[in-house]
Amino acid sequence: MSDATTSPDAERRRAFGEVIEPEIEVMLRVARSITGSAADAEDLVQESLIRAFRALDRFDGRHPRAWLLTILRNTHLNMQRRRRPIAIDDAELARAARPAFGSAGVPSAEDSFVTDELGAALQVAVDSLDPRFRSALILVDVHDLSYTDAAALLGIPPGTVMSRLSRARQKVRVALGPTFATSEREL
Amino acid sequence: MLRQVITCHWTARRIHRYLDADPAAPLTPSEISRLEEHVATCERCSEVLRQHRLLSRALAGWSGHHVVDRASTDRLRSVLDDLVEGRLP
Repeated sequence: MSDATTSPDAERRRAFGEVIEPEIEVMLRVARSITGSAADAEDLVQESLIRAFRALDRFDGRHPRAWLLTILRNTHLNMQRRRRPIAIDDAELARAARPAFGSAGVPSAEDSFVTDELGAALQVAVDSLDPRFRSALILVDVHDLSYTDAAALLGIPPGTVMSRLSRARQKVRVALGPTFATSEREL
Repeated sequence: MLRQVITCHWTARRIHRYLDADPAAPLTPSEISRLEEHVATCERCSEVLRQHRLLSRALAGWSGHHVVDRASTDRLRSVLDDLVEGRLP
């Protein structure tokens, strides 16, 4: 009988736990945006963790977050297919995200400007984006994902994330032009 | 003048990579130096950079809305423990 605490399989399981555990919060945040519900987000992450564990043999140990977000995306697509005939796409990912301001602590003057003056205009500008651009913007700038991780979640190449992100930011910046109180011409 | 316009265009194409410093698309040290030197002397590009930084801060602030529930995190950690310990089928 093998010792469960020292066998290669036990080591592999422990390594899996150590790699995955720090990613749970990111998975929950992204899942919350995808599903629009805290309860559904938890279900989605739980199912994704189980699938990730079953797929452990196919994981090469590199880019664990991107690997997990790919599983999260595929799991979500599968769960959606079970619930309704139309598969979800990244447009819904963006639409589901309804961020709001509300940082803790005493804000600086610039923070006050960002939250009080820029907030409403920013919401309008982000809402008016094409969903493909909006999802890239939300994943990278709101959820702080890397290009690679956002690409994994959206199922597109990192270069496409970069180009969508660039266009999204440019459009939002131009839309906020009057709010930024600048008379500079656009590049 | 033409050189200035060309450098403004060159800078505009790299400004997001400069701000993000993402490992997937890093600028070279010489590109960073060129961009920073240009921004230091070009009011227009300096203003664009300022606006993008402000926009980045505003968007980062939105994440506060989706603060992850600690109980939810704990439950999922428990699921992970069960997986690792072989307690789930």
